[in-house]
Amino acid sequence: MTITGAWVCLLAPLAGAIAITLAGTRISRRTAAYISTLTTFVAFGGALVAFLGLWATDHGDREIVSTAYTWLESGDFRVELQILLDTLSSTMMLIVSGVGGLIVWYSMGYMAGDDEERRYFAYMSLFVFSMLMLVQAGNLLLLLVGWGLVGLASYLLIGFWHHKPEAVAAAKKAFVMNAIGDATLALALVLLIWETGTLTYLGVFEDVDGLSTTTVNLVALGLLGGAVAKSAQIPLHTWLPDAMEGPTPVSALIHAATMVTAGVYLLVRASPIFEAAPDVQALAAILGAITLLVAGVIALVQWDIKRVIAYSTMSQIGYMFVAAGIGAYGYAIFHLMTHAFFKALLFMTAGVVIHHLGGEQDIRKMGGLRGLMPRTHLAFLVGALALAGIPIFSGFWSKDGIVAAALADGGALGYSLYAAALVGALLTGLYTFRLYFTVFRGEPSDFVKEHAQEDHGEGPRSMLIPVGVLSVLATIGGLVAIPGVWEPFLHWIDETVEPTVKATVTQDYATSAVAVTLGLVGFLLARRAFDAGRQLVTGPAVWRVLEHKLYVDEAYDALFFRPAAALSTALRRNVEEPLVERSLDEIGAGTLQVGGEVARAQTGLLRTYAIALAFSVVVLVVVFVAVR
Amino acid sequence: MLTTALILFPIAAALVVAILPLPRETTAGLALLAALMEVGLWITAVTQFDFDDGSLQLGTTREWVESLGISYSVGFYGFSLWLVGASVVVFAAAIGYALWAGRERTRAYHALMLLLLGAVVATFTAQDLLLFYAAFELMLIPLYVLVGVWGGERRQAATVTFVIYTMAGSLLMLASVVAFGVTQGTFSLTAGETSDNVWIFLGFAIAFAVKAPLFPFHGWLPLAYREAPVEVAAVLSAVVSKTAIYGFIRIGLESFPEPADDLSGLILVLACAGLVYGSLLAFRAPDLRGVIAYSSMAQMGLITVGVFAFDDLGLDGAILQSVAHGLVSASMFLLVGMVERRCGTSDVDALGGMARGRPSLTTVVLIAGLIALAVPGSATFAGEFLIMAGAYDQGWGYSVVVALGIVLAAMYTLRVISAILHVEPGRAVRKEALDLRPGELALVLPLLLLLLGLSVWPAVVSQSAFAASTLAEILP
Amino acid sequence: MDGPDVGWYLVVAAILFGIGALGVMLRRSPLIVLLSLEIMLNAANLTLIAFARQHGDISGQIFALAVMAVAAAEVAIGLGLIVAMARRGMLLDVDQASALRG
Repeated sequence: MTITGAWVCLLAPLAGAIAITLAGTRISRRTAAYISTLTTFVAFGGALVAFLGLWATDHGDREIVSTAYTWLESGDFRVELQILLDTLSSTMMLIVSGVGGLIVWYSMGYMAGDDEERRYFAYMSLFVFSMLMLVQAGNLLLLLVGWGLVGLASYLLIGFWHHKPEAVAAAKKAFVMNAIGDATLALALVLLIWETGTLTYLGVFEDVDGLSTTTVNLVALGLLGGAVAKSAQIPLHTWLPDAMEGPTPVSALIHAATMVTAGVYLLVRASPIFEAAPDVQALAAILGAITLLVAGVIALVQWDIKRVIAYSTMSQIGYMFVAAGIGAYGYAIFHLMTHAFFKALLFMTAGVVIHHLGGEQDIRKMGGLRGLMPRTHLAFLVGALALAGIPIFSGFWSKDGIVAAALADGGALGYSLYAAALVGALLTGLYTFRLYFTVFRGEPSDFVKEHAQEDHGEGPRSMLIPVGVLSVLATIGGLVAIPGVWEPFLHWIDETVEPTVKATVTQDYATSAVAVTLGLVGFLLARRAFDAGRQLVTGPAVWRVLEHKLYVDEAYDALFFRPAAALSTALRRNVEEPLVERSLDEIGAGTLQVGGEVARAQTGLLRTYAIALAFSVVVLVVVFVAVR
Repeated sequence: MLTTALILFPIAAALVVAILPLPRETTAGLALLAALMEVGLWITAVTQFDFDDGSLQLGTTREWVESLGISYSVGFYGFSLWLVGASVVVFAAAIGYALWAGRERTRAYHALMLLLLGAVVATFTAQDLLLFYAAFELMLIPLYVLVGVWGGERRQAATVTFVIYTMAGSLLMLASVVAFGVTQGTFSLTAGETSDNVWIFLGFAIAFAVKAPLFPFHGWLPLAYREAPVEVAAVLSAVVSKTAIYGFIRIGLESFPEPADDLSGLILVLACAGLVYGSLLAFRAPDLRGVIAYSSMAQMGLITVGVFAFDDLGLDGAILQSVAHGLVSASMFLLVGMVERRCGTSDVDALGGMARGRPSLTTVVLIAGLIALAVPGSATFAGEFLIMAGAYDQGWGYSVVVALGIVLAAMYTLRVISAILHVEPGRAVRKEALDLRPGELALVLPLLLLLLGLSVWPAVVSQSAFAASTLAEILP
Repeated sequence: MDGPDVGWYLVVAAILFGIGALGVMLRRSPLIVLLSLEIMLNAANLTLIAFARQHGDISGQIFALAVMAVAAAEVAIGLGLIVAMARRGMLLDVDQASALRG
């Protein structure tokens, strides 16, 4: 029953995607939307069954492997299509299918009327299936399959509005950057195959102690490469802001709640490997810390409502990387979950706003929406408070847990991470409330008034109900891990991955006090700046650098794309065309020349030929006689 | 007997098609029927084949020229069975496309296609070197004519280049065949004779390198793939190139274990160079055919890396990838043909925006393209992963190059997809250009369904390509 | 076995062959060249028959007959060519017929 639930959870969305594709235009757009939503909720039901079944199982037995068939086999090497159901994967299944279901439902309203709605819902179902494959996979190759498929779904959905060149370019960029991660991940797997002979988690983790330091470090680096690319951490982060070209529910589902957090899941899932390679694990934490700061700062100057939230996502995933990097796995997953709630909520409310304003995303044109969209305003405020880590709201519990764990980790690294995380808390408060004030407070702008007159309400019910559900979750979702009081969530995750660091209750509450203060400072600064009508970042030079996202895109363009393109063109001009394609012309010319030389021997005089013939015979006779 | 039937049936069908004075559609229909029956014959062969048995199966051996040790000897191993399977399916689709597109001088055209099919099957099943050589050469004759008569504007240049390259390779191979036969006293491949003569091996290796083609023997490729009728280009890249892989395994590895081992470094480096070089050129090629042509070259480099990895992972991966790439490159070429029929060009700059209002074309191009770029979970991914894992045995650098190849493949394939489907319609895309017709779907969908099936269960090929005893023979 | 030793026949044949070969190489009239060719062929025939007699094997004679047949055919073609040349008013000089020069 338990494991059946897990299989249902995995396959239901796939069935949905196939059904929509096969049905084509025979079903209405609405029907496609219903199929997609329904199958995702069926998946959630399956995940719930699996979760409850696992809950009822004894403590030691909460690790069920179920194999369907052998997917790939060669010699002694075999990879089976198998799922691993344990406390970690069941939690992820619930998050993915639950939040996924809400967002697909929300899409019904958001995408209504689009020409290619059916295609959209097929892709969404495909994505949910891929993501579930990723978290349920019982071995690393299957994880890589899910890993690649979510990247594929992401590509398809970012480029969903394929007539927009920016969307297509963003989709390609996301796919290629993820392909880099896929490649390093695949290389790590190759190394594991040769060193351990297997790719199942359980088999690899058993053998990990027997590997040489170099091997473990390389494997861990390969995995980290994949995680960094997928989770848009520095230095492979540039695709995520561009990915906002996709429809907003896609940003909510893929680029906030689920796919981008896959890197965190990998770090936690493969924690035995990372623990054997502590340097690489520390590197993960450091990259996370850098990302959370840089993304937080860049978020301060963005004008696109979705891009601000996207940078905030990078920053929050930075927190999760820090947690996974220092060994606070429970908190990494905890923050992953609460982040899924409040960030999906923020994107969806942003989506409601964009929808309401006829597709406008520039916050300079917004303002004063509070009076016009009270329910949306409330939901956004809940999300913002959770993001900024204000007590009671879910983000508070998870983020402060990570900061406290950094403190508990100690040492130069721990304290630096602690400091970075606290600065991050301040930045979070700043950019969150800058966004909030700019969009919702003040007097309605002309642009807003113009659209408000049309008065089509805040949105259809299919959009508002999921937003409501997520608001509740974003508010109370953090109450499953109250330090020192009630921590069932952490105990549940700890069963699968034992954390290597645990903050004391004192550290926890002391940290919370500091972090909350910083968050509030951020709030106040943002409010004062808003009231005074100025920006948070002053100084045109700094502003320009930040607006160009530290020129990373430009640097990559100059470092990789242009050299590759130039090399390709140079190869075509200097090697392919002259040497290879024209090689035959050369051969032909050469042959003609030789032929011309030889032709002179042909005098056309019969007697010359006869003499040559006779002479040759004489030579041959002499040779034969001599040889004998 | 079944093997002989598989070889002779298409040749007999070619004769019938050539002789019977039937109207154009009937002739093409008859050819398609013959190709489909050939697929049926192959399925029969699969049902009779025992994949655990490493010896030659379904074989026939007759003395031919006794005094010279030449025999008519044909039969199947696991891997040749899969390669023939990909071939017959691709040929059925290609002949179907020719029926759909309608070619001038129909009888001659279809007779040549069927003759080519017979020659390909003979190449994959020949167990005697002279027979192999004869079949290998027999493949070329219809190809010359098909490219030279039915090709595009520069077909003559394409044919001449193709002839010169392949003839040079063939002559070297003939010399090697004779040298092998004379030194070993037999031309039979099943006698288990091995040679340690590097020069004889090189003759074969260069012939195969031209046929594949490997860098830098690919001079004939761009023109031939651009100028050939699109279904002939599909057959060239999907099937004919795989005879080189078959030759590398069946003759290179099995009959020349030592020279193959000694020269594996050189061949691996060339294969890797071809992989990167082909990918880079594909990335900037100005037309769709060029992209697919160079990507095909890159893939052949990749598969060769698998062959010369000298382990079961690499070899299984090479066969899996050969089958998968055969199906996918055939689908891509046929799709490009369908786009060309609508727009009259395959220039990347002139195309685009075809996704809107053409759901079938969009879906099919996306599926084919995404499998071509080896998205994880696809059959091509499984093959590439096995090759990558196998190549690690010869040096980690080769695995890294294969990984780089995966990234580059993503770049050039996405370019193809976007060039056809995305952004605003290009200048060659007329608004009234139709979505794929049911007839066209019927050609491409079977290939894609096979690919999807293979993606769900790649092990069906990878685990049965080589029986354990065959591998023990091949590997050092 | 009666008659002279085989060596004598060979000497005669060699002399005949030499005369024929010199004729082909030095003379410019096509008619004489053709004649010289006949002499060379007959020199070969003489050796064939001489050896056939020495070995008591009839194959040599058969071969000589075959050569005669070929020679007859050759003369027929050759004379035909010469007549054709004469009819077209060409000079009967082999050095003038050099259209095949490379």
